[in-house]
Amino acid sequence: MPKMKKVGIKAPVLTAIGYLLPLVVASGLLIAIGNLTGGEDVTSLDGITVPDALTTIGVFGMGLLPSFIAGYIAYAIADRPGLAPGFLMGQVASFLGAGFLGGLIGGIIGGYIALFFETYLKVPKWAQALMPMMIIPTLTAIIAGLIMVFVLGGPIAALTAGLTAFIKGLDQSQKFAYGFILGFIQHLDYGGAISKVPNLICDGMMADGIYGPEAVKVLGSMVPPFGVTLALLLSKAIHKPIFYKEEIENIKVAFPMGICMITEGVIPIAMNDLVRTIISTALGDAVCGAIAFSMGVESMVPSGGMFVVPAMKNPGWALVALAAGSCVTAIMLVLLKKKIDPAMEKKVEKEEEVDLSGLSFS
Amino acid sequence: MKIVGVCACCSGIAHTYMAKKAIVNAAEAMGDEIHMETQGTIGAEDELTANQIKEADCVLLCIDVHIEGMDRFKNKKVMKISTDLAIKAPKQIIAKIHRELEKAI
Repeated sequence: MPKMKKVGIKAPVLTAIGYLLPLVVASGLLIAIGNLTGGEDVTSLDGITVPDALTTIGVFGMGLLPSFIAGYIAYAIADRPGLAPGFLMGQVASFLGAGFLGGLIGGIIGGYIALFFETYLKVPKWAQALMPMMIIPTLTAIIAGLIMVFVLGGPIAALTAGLTAFIKGLDQSQKFAYGFILGFIQHLDYGGAISKVPNLICDGMMADGIYGPEAVKVLGSMVPPFGVTLALLLSKAIHKPIFYKEEIENIKVAFPMGICMITEGVIPIAMNDLVRTIISTALGDAVCGAIAFSMGVESMVPSGGMFVVPAMKNPGWALVALAAGSCVTAIMLVLLKKKIDPAMEKKVEKEEEVDLSGLSFS
Repeated sequence: MKIVGVCACCSGIAHTYMAKKAIVNAAEAMGDEIHMETQGTIGAEDELTANQIKEADCVLLCIDVHIEGMDRFKNKKVMKISTDLAIKAPKQIIAKIHRELEKAI
């Protein structure tokens, strides 16, 4: 008896996000440019202007999100035969009003059903060519589609609607608290696997029309790199060296990366002094998130760093939040980090011991 | 020892390349011949050749996501880790590969 290969859920979801990002960024920017130049979402070609066209195309792109997430999750689980039924499940989710969350669940269900057929369904040799082409996609689409329509669609749609209503109903002080928490967890590991979870939740809310958390995500991603840069300047100003020469070189790279919303540049600096750095950047992010969310900063673009700030709602407050967060991070770093000998090139490198006993060849 | 592998992370911008750098440095420091392909958001770079794969003693995948071309590694010894681990402990991983390969012989 063949066994179904182990794929889990995390890797497929991460795969889908990877495919999703360029679509969301392009569509978000189209909407933002269209809106800023006075365009709106239109449904007919009568009297359409260039800004109208841009906004409308962007909205089409956002409409593809549930399908993209479902399609590529199913693809990552079941390979090519999963792609078609996965995309279909996304369309079903859109139709049911189950949005992003529906696409996510639909993709997982579709992918695993397709994988099940790939593994266990045996057909005569002459029909084998039809398996990836016709049999798996059709059977998967029927079963997963019926499950989505008659079983899961309703509850997921209700959940999505409930979440939307909940966030829209928050008052300012509640928003401050939620923004603080959101900011705190958003970039804990600087763009690594932990931060992808809250990132995904924000992307999902954006796809369903709630744009505040996405702004927290975008702004927060820049706080760690800006914060360490400020900390470097501050440490020089008060003559308390806290970074080694090599780290200073890293900061010079991390800053421009940060402008483009790539937080990962901070990792080499954080690695040398993990606990102090994470506390400092997470608190800075939390302050940034609290200010941005409570002041109604919203972003329809999920990526792009400083370049999308002008396209945000309330960009002034976005800058205030960013500056406040970066200052908090910088001050915390300068206070928390130990004074070092500035002549030293770098911290003596030693790998942290990790348990690799579970690793083996397969 | 000859090692080939693939690095791929979720957004395909940073961890992919950091993992590659860490692993390649660690392997070369131990005198191994290593070829790592990256599958980032830009697509595949430094693609492995059929010959490199054929001659390799093992395959090291530093991946968080589904990658293209898994069928190339059929019948090879494959070790799979996350990009995070590759960045955090590259030397220990290469040492572990050496130990496992020696055990197999």
